[in-house]
Amino acid sequence: MPIALKLFGDLRKKVDPKVSGTLPLRLKIDDPEITWVSDILRKFMIEENEVSHIFVNGRFAGFRKKVSRGDTVALFPKNMGLLYKWYFKREEDE
Amino acid sequence: MPKRILRVNMTNLESQFEDLPADYAALGGRGMTSTIVAKEVPPTCNPLGIHNKLVFAPGIVTGTKAPTSGRLSVGGKSPLTGGIKEANAGTPFAQMLARMRIGAIIIEGKHAGDDYYLLKITMDGTEFIKANKWVGKGLYGVYKDLFKEYGDKVGISGVGIAAELLGAMSGVCFNDPEGLPSRYAGRGGLGAVMASKGLKFIIVDDTGAPGVEIANEEVFSQGIKKLRDALTSHDVTKPGGALNSYGTAVLVNIINEAGGLPQRNFSSGQDEGAEKVSGEAKAEEIKKRGGTRPHFCNPGCIIQCSEVWVKPNGKDPVGVLEYESVWALGPNCAIYNLDDIGELNRACNDLGTDTIEAGDTIAVAMEGGLIEFGDGKGAIKLMDEIRKKTPIGKILAQGTEITGKVFGVTRIPTVKGQGLPAYDPRAIKGIGVTFATTPMGADHTAGYAIAPEILGVGGKLDPLSPEKAEVSRNLQFATAAIDASGYCLFIAFAILDIPEGLQGVVESLSGVLGANLTVDDVGPIGKSIIDTELEFNKKAGFTKIHDRLPEFFLEEKLPPHNTVFDVPDDDLDSVF
Repeated sequence: MPIALKLFGDLRKKVDPKVSGTLPLRLKIDDPEITWVSDILRKFMIEENEVSHIFVNGRFAGFRKKVSRGDTVALFPKNMGLLYKWYFKREEDE
Repeated sequence: MPKRILRVNMTNLESQFEDLPADYAALGGRGMTSTIVAKEVPPTCNPLGIHNKLVFAPGIVTGTKAPTSGRLSVGGKSPLTGGIKEANAGTPFAQMLARMRIGAIIIEGKHAGDDYYLLKITMDGTEFIKANKWVGKGLYGVYKDLFKEYGDKVGISGVGIAAELLGAMSGVCFNDPEGLPSRYAGRGGLGAVMASKGLKFIIVDDTGAPGVEIANEEVFSQGIKKLRDALTSHDVTKPGGALNSYGTAVLVNIINEAGGLPQRNFSSGQDEGAEKVSGEAKAEEIKKRGGTRPHFCNPGCIIQCSEVWVKPNGKDPVGVLEYESVWALGPNCAIYNLDDIGELNRACNDLGTDTIEAGDTIAVAMEGGLIEFGDGKGAIKLMDEIRKKTPIGKILAQGTEITGKVFGVTRIPTVKGQGLPAYDPRAIKGIGVTFATTPMGADHTAGYAIAPEILGVGGKLDPLSPEKAEVSRNLQFATAAIDASGYCLFIAFAILDIPEGLQGVVESLSGVLGANLTVDDVGPIGKSIIDTELEFNKKAGFTKIHDRLPEFFLEEKLPPHNTVFDVPDDDLDSVF
């Protein structure tokens, strides 16, 4: 089962520059190279400072959170973010 | 002219200005309302009887150039909770009172008979005017009439049809800068307290007002500059930031993703349908329709999280659709249509009801089988029952708990009789601790534990961890202090992260009061307010047993995390 990715707001434009509407963009990722959340960012050329909230399976997570097949990963852009990453209690695996 | 108290006796329709007592000189907002209520209202009195009082108080810096500071507190004994209540709103009305150097309005007594009155306050004095012609009418039309009759520069406070029913979901309504009846001190049924006294409206005209006295202009100016710098640089509060771009409803997708957005009367914490009513969706619709976003609820606000929602044709403005309102009238009722939510919010404003209590009430009515979950048009018809003052409408107007009991619902999401706001305590436990322990009844603004947990501001917390007592306590103290200051609670996002911003707040308060406050004084100020409120509630009959969440939160697992609220009772009892 692939990883389910949800991109919110302007992060959707990283995949589809002409995206319209407001619903999150849903993607399925089946890529054996992906081990961490940061790998997902790299795959879509998203910089860490462009991301505010990360959720893995509905739990707060950081860039160094391991992801597995079947996980759901949600990424929110900076301009929808209300948190500072250094304050955020994130689930990290490394 | 020194700051004054306006005491209004509704029994004999008399009023008088009194000197502000010396020990009230440093009070404002919630500090003022709770102090007066605790001192003058018998805790065991009937909230709708002659002994209760309704107190209006602008904050300490309200009416000054301090940014984002147009807040007003309304206090009394709540007919919804049976305890002390402070509800607050941002409105030009607050700034007018402050500029007139009115530290508090105390409404007392109770007018005999069926007449309703309008109280007009100017620098020349007060006047009582019969208001019967507006009884039974919606507030959108009435506020238009009032501005036409009294001039477009006045400020208006009023109560609607729900308050005429003495409904415990009724709020006290204030005008926004466009004159819409959309700014509410909504929680706790204080609208019913106002109506019970025979008072329907208060009109203020601050023409000729001297303005707020500032004891030390230099310290004040230095303080507000620091605060302004913090607000304009913090990602949450700055222009183009999350609140400014999307409003509070930016939280819909975030809390839904976290599994903490209650759906279908708190039976699930997540639903894809919520994406259709997100802050992003709402902001785009407002832009498309020609509404207003961003928008300020009172002049001088930097954050400008407010907005004006309109119909698809760009007409019939409603006002702001806050996150909690969208949730209460939307996902909590399985309604995922912004137009239905907008019309429900319009009905709430028009009838004078708190949107959170109305949404919780509709949801338990749905669970009780009155209408189906998801039936937006049916929900609007239910609100019309209140408008028509039918027996069903009279039940609904009493709020979530009574409606739930009448319709045989056992899953009633209330604490101390007040409906829970838009955060499920099984997924976000710290907010559950605040819901359980605040003297206000379930109230997210009482201790914004959501801020460090979900928003990542001012702390490192795990939302699913049960160890929350200390955090909730400290946030409740901080919140009470901000509620007293006159600043909007949303400044907390910036000042919790930027020390200079907090220093600026303290300096601005010192400047107005001529005091030498320090950051270390903030906590004790808040604690003093909470202690006053807890003491009132204790005398009103509250015990630790009342500091508990409903049983179903402890027994029913909430999808998707499948957790229950498992904060031990001892931890809840250790908060205060």
